[in-house]
Amino acid sequence: MTQAVAARASAHQPYLDAVRATLQASFCIENFESQVVERHNKPEVEVKTSKQLLLNPVVISRNQNEQILIEGSINSVRISVAVKQADDLEKILCKRLMRFMMQRADDFYILRRKPVNGYDISFLVTNFHAENMYKHRLVDFIIYFLEEIDKEISKMKLDVSSRARMCADEFFKKFN
Amino acid sequence: MILLEVHNRIIEELLTVQIETFLRKEKLVEVKTDVVDFDGAMYHVTSSRDKPFIVSIKLKFYRDLEQYGTDDVLRREYGDLLVTPLEGYNVTLSLDFNTQLPKGDTNEVWLPLVRKIAMLKRNCFAAVFEKYFEFQSKQETKTETHKRAVIHYRDDETMYVDASSDRVIVIFSTVFKDPDDNIIGRVFMEEFKERRRQFQQAPQVIVSYRTPPEELKDMPDARTGDNIGYLTFVLFPRHTKVAERDNTINLIHTLRNYFHYHIKCCKAYLHAHMRHKTNEFLKRLQLARPEVKKSFRRIGNNAGDAPAATE
Repeated sequence: MTQAVAARASAHQPYLDAVRATLQASFCIENFESQVVERHNKPEVEVKTSKQLLLNPVVISRNQNEQILIEGSINSVRISVAVKQADDLEKILCKRLMRFMMQRADDFYILRRKPVNGYDISFLVTNFHAENMYKHRLVDFIIYFLEEIDKEISKMKLDVSSRARMCADEFFKKFN
Repeated sequence: MILLEVHNRIIEELLTVQIETFLRKEKLVEVKTDVVDFDGAMYHVTSSRDKPFIVSIKLKFYRDLEQYGTDDVLRREYGDLLVTPLEGYNVTLSLDFNTQLPKGDTNEVWLPLVRKIAMLKRNCFAAVFEKYFEFQSKQETKTETHKRAVIHYRDDETMYVDASSDRVIVIFSTVFKDPDDNIIGRVFMEEFKERRRQFQQAPQVIVSYRTPPEELKDMPDARTGDNIGYLTFVLFPRHTKVAERDNTINLIHTLRNYFHYHIKCCKAYLHAHMRHKTNEFLKRLQLARPEVKKSFRRIGNNAGDAPAATE
C-alpha cells in the first residue's frame, strides 16, 4: 500500500464508520411472513405492504454525488450507493462497471438487478441472506465495495488517458 | 501492435506464398479470395496455375480520388502491372510470375514488389496528398489552379486537403457512432493535442468538436453535431519534402483507423479489467458464506491436470 492510499482512506474513514454502524444496526432482521397473502414471504422493503414494518430510511452522504441510502425493514435491508462521477468519462466507466456487475447479480446473491432511482447500484439483503451468511462479513463486504469502487473508477480513468497518451506519442514519434 | 500496418497483410501473405511455390517449381494452388480492408475497401484476388496473379480493389470513394491523378501515381508505382480494371472494381493489377517477376536468387529481389502490391490502397490515397504537397512546394497558392480536395472516405466521414504557400492542411472529420466512443474519443483527441508539444518534429494538431474548424467555414456540407470530431493537421515543408513524403502519407492516411482502433482496444481492455474486478468482489463476498460450496466461475480448470502421463 502506498502512502497516498492510506491518506485517502483516512479522509474517507468517518463516512465509512458511519455506514458501518448504520449497517450493523439495520442488519437486525428476522423472518416475517406476508400479512396480506398467505404463505408468501417477501422482502418488505421492496413490497412496502405496511408502514409499520418499515424503518426510517437513512441517507449518509459524503457530498452531493457520493452518498448511500440505507432502507431498513422488518425482514430486509436495501442499500443503494451513489458513486462519485466527476465528468463524462467517469460517468460511462461507472455505468459500464455497474451494468457489468448487475448482469451477474445471480452470482452476487445480495446484488439487486436494478439500482434504486437516483443511485448507481443497490444491494438487497434479506433475512435469508443474513441467516446463510455471516452478518459482520456482509457489512465488511459492503464497506470494501465502497472503498474499492472509487479507486477502481479513477484507475480506469487513468488507464484510458495513459493509453491515449501512448497512442499519440507513438504516432508523433514516427514523424521526422 | 500499436501502429497499424500500411499494407494489407492478407494480400502480402497470399502473394508471398504463391511466389515461393512458384520459385520452388511446385504446382500453384488455385486462389480466389475476397478480402476486406479499412474504409470499406474490397480486394478480389485470383491466381491459378497458368494465369497471372490478379489483385483488384474496389473503393467507394475512388471517384473522389480519381480527379487528383490517381492514375498517374498508380502508373508510376506499378508500371505495366496495371491492367484494365475488372468489372465492378476500380484498379486491377496483374502479375505474371513467368515474365514480370524480378530475377534473382534471394528473396530480397521480389519482396519489395510484394510489399508494393500489398500497399495498393495506400497508393490510391497517396495521389491526393502528393498532388497537394506538390502544389505547396511550387508555391501555387492561387485558388484558380486548385481548390480544396474533398474525399468522402466513409459514408459520413470526410477528409479535406488544402495547400497554401507554406503549409498543407489535412482535416479529418470523424463520427463516433457509440456515445461511449464519443467520450473516450474526446480523451484521445485531447491527448493528441497535448502530446504534440513534446514532439517538435510532428505536425501541428488542432482539435475541434461538434463544429468544423475555421478552415472549413466555407464548406456548407461539413457536418456538425455532438458526436462529430475534427482533427486538423498542419503539415509544414519539412513533412512534405520529397524525402519525407512517403512517411507522412503513410501516417496521415491511417490516422482515422488508428484512432478508432485504439478506442476499441481501450474498451476491450476496460471490459477485461471489469471482469477481473467483478471476480475479485465475488471472492470477497464468498468470505461471508460459512462454507465455500464450490468455486464460482472456474476459468481454465483443466489446465492443471492435462500433462498427467509420466514415463
